[in-house]
Amino acid sequence: MIAAKHILGTFDEALGALRNNVLMMAGLTERSLERAMKGLFDRNDDLCATTIADDEEIDQLEKQIDKDGVDILLRFQPVASDLRRVVSAMKLSSNLERMADQATTIARRARKLNRHPALPEVDLIRPMYDHAMSMFKDSVDAFTREDVELGRAVVSRDEKLDDLNRSASDKLVERMGRDPGQLRGYLNLIFIGRCLERVGDHATNIAEDAVYAANAEDIRHPSLATAT
Amino acid sequence: MHLERTHNHTWRKIKNALAVGIAFTSGIFVILPLGLVFFYLLINGAGSINWDFFTKLPAPVGAAGGGMVNAIVGSLELLALAGVIGIPIGVLGGVYLAEYGSARINALLRFLADVLNGVPSITWGVVVYGLVVLRFKGFSAYAGGLALALIMIPLILRTTEEVILLVPNGYREASLALGVSRWKTIVHIVMKTASKGIITGILLALARIGGETAPLLFTAFGNRFWNHSLSQPIAALPLQIFTYAISPYDDWHRQAWAGALVLVTGVFCVNILVRILTRGRGASVV
Amino acid sequence: METPEQTVLERLERGTAPPPEAELPPARTFEVKNMSIWYGEKRAIDNVTLDVAANAVTAIIGPSGCGKSTFLRALNRMHELTPKTRMEGTVLLHGEDLYATAVDPAIVRRRVGMVFQKSNPFPTMTIGENVVVGLRLNGVRNQRLLNERLEKSLRMAALWDEVKDDLHKPGTSLSGGQQQRLCIARALAVEPEVILMDEPCSALDPIATAKIEELIYELKTKYTIVTVTHNMQQAGRISDYTAFFYLGRLIEFGPTTKIFTNPSEKQTEDYITGRFG
Repeated sequence: MIAAKHILGTFDEALGALRNNVLMMAGLTERSLERAMKGLFDRNDDLCATTIADDEEIDQLEKQIDKDGVDILLRFQPVASDLRRVVSAMKLSSNLERMADQATTIARRARKLNRHPALPEVDLIRPMYDHAMSMFKDSVDAFTREDVELGRAVVSRDEKLDDLNRSASDKLVERMGRDPGQLRGYLNLIFIGRCLERVGDHATNIAEDAVYAANAEDIRHPSLATAT
Repeated sequence: MHLERTHNHTWRKIKNALAVGIAFTSGIFVILPLGLVFFYLLINGAGSINWDFFTKLPAPVGAAGGGMVNAIVGSLELLALAGVIGIPIGVLGGVYLAEYGSARINALLRFLADVLNGVPSITWGVVVYGLVVLRFKGFSAYAGGLALALIMIPLILRTTEEVILLVPNGYREASLALGVSRWKTIVHIVMKTASKGIITGILLALARIGGETAPLLFTAFGNRFWNHSLSQPIAALPLQIFTYAISPYDDWHRQAWAGALVLVTGVFCVNILVRILTRGRGASVV
Repeated sequence: METPEQTVLERLERGTAPPPEAELPPARTFEVKNMSIWYGEKRAIDNVTLDVAANAVTAIIGPSGCGKSTFLRALNRMHELTPKTRMEGTVLLHGEDLYATAVDPAIVRRRVGMVFQKSNPFPTMTIGENVVVGLRLNGVRNQRLLNERLEKSLRMAALWDEVKDDLHKPGTSLSGGQQQRLCIARALAVEPEVILMDEPCSALDPIATAKIEELIYELKTKYTIVTVTHNMQQAGRISDYTAFFYLGRLIEFGPTTKIFTNPSEKQTEDYITGRFG
């Protein structure tokens, strides 16, 4: 939906570079999450270690995106859609960075779990993982393609993720009661579930920012009084 | 690209010096005749400039002595008459051309004014002779003043018009935007801004007609005595110089030289006055 | 309807969210309907309809040749100074038709003042004379009134402190920014209702520009201001409403925040983001 070029070529280049960095950061974050969960499901410590190590690259990208964003604001004083895109890109970078931190946390907890015998309850969080990852991918898609409907759809899926998390937690708590010996393992799984739930929240934020960038519509925190 | 001198440089220096030399010489050739005239006048006339010249009436024909006081005063009177008629018409006409009128009419009027500016001044004398002198059966200061005024009008018209056109439009717009009416804008803003230029134009026109002789030949006619009524002939300095110069009397020749010197000095002073006036504040027009 | 005096705490106590911005319809100074203007055969303004809000700044933006200056000048009949202009449509100032046959353009211009792009204080007058020239040439003789208006206008133009001891100096002895403020004081002295500004800052340095923008901000509490500007950041800073013109047509008109964050028309968006113009 990016229309004609700006008269100022450097402006287009700067916006393009910013966008590419955001997409790259999203790709790296996605990879980190996948690796961390794969390290959990396949009990692969190497994958966990790689995830933790790669977090630094993602942090550097966040700094770069914020710096480039401020630079564009300063030099080009963007307005309207350009302004919204730059501001959203900067907000996306912070959400992606936190998602990558969640991946790191998952990787650490997975390593802890891998030191003990495998728990079949690991499968309880698989549906959560699938749901959260699909929300994440769709939210980035919504941003890339400026797809307002997709963004709204992602926001509405967050509730289901919360439900999944609650039901998984409840089941794990019940198991903790029945089998206190595996308490540590079950606790780690609950924490990993919570990380995934937070991944879903960040994906929701990304989707809301995508809708704002495309539409200038702020769909966050709908209150009883307003119907935007 | 080299910065050092090439042999072209020397040739360019020579060309430059040559051009400067030619321009300088041309300048000298222009100034020289003027200087010579003034110098000649000074030599021949200065001796006859004395108190008598400025205070005494002409002596009877053939007798020595006497002065040109009536001619000097007469010239001033004629200038005043011409001014009273010519300045208002010229200035207002110039304002009209610059501010009002349609493009076509104005172009025609300008053309006419330029043509009239080039008409030999004796023509005006003849016209006024036919219209006024013959009708009222006598030469008079009025007729002389009118003839001079007719010369002045197209001159002042054009200079006023040019000077007013030079006033930037921004001032007019600013004044009109304050709700000031058009004519008040013209009088209080435009003409005030152009005032220096208008006055310069008037002074130069006065200097020009001050030395006109031909139109006065059959209008003012000249007078050996004081003029007591403007409907009577009146003496004028250029006329007097003419009369004395073609006479056979040496004494009158002397006085003619003196008169010419006074006339040229008068014109010179007016021009210096104009220079002083136009030197002033930077925002002046002309 | 909530009043501004109610505090956040009270609102929290009552448990309601802060209300949206009060949507009072603004009073209208100008109502322009179907205005079209021709210069000879060329159509400079094409069927423009818009209302100018009172006590607010309306900015007019658009590329060169889009008719912004023509439109502005039509609001105080200054476009009639160009020969062969023709206008259709109506312009109402507080309900009165500015172009009715019985209306004297000079009276219109006393109520709708104008400041120009290049500051033009009259060169033959002092600073003091410049400020009150509009009053004097319109017949005001009372010296006390003139002095009062002189000080009042210079204060309103944020120039009094800088020139109060120099009122006898020529108007052209001031700096560019001061000259422009002098021209604003001159326009204010005749106590208009509206001030039109045609790119007032385009010839000024950034500091002088900032001073004038600050001045515009203060003036809008008392006057309605319409300004043409090339500088979109300036339009964004100082105006409450923005009108975008292109090729003589009004493409979009609305609150400035909307125009600059989310314009409705693609042309508007393309112009303000610098994709054409």
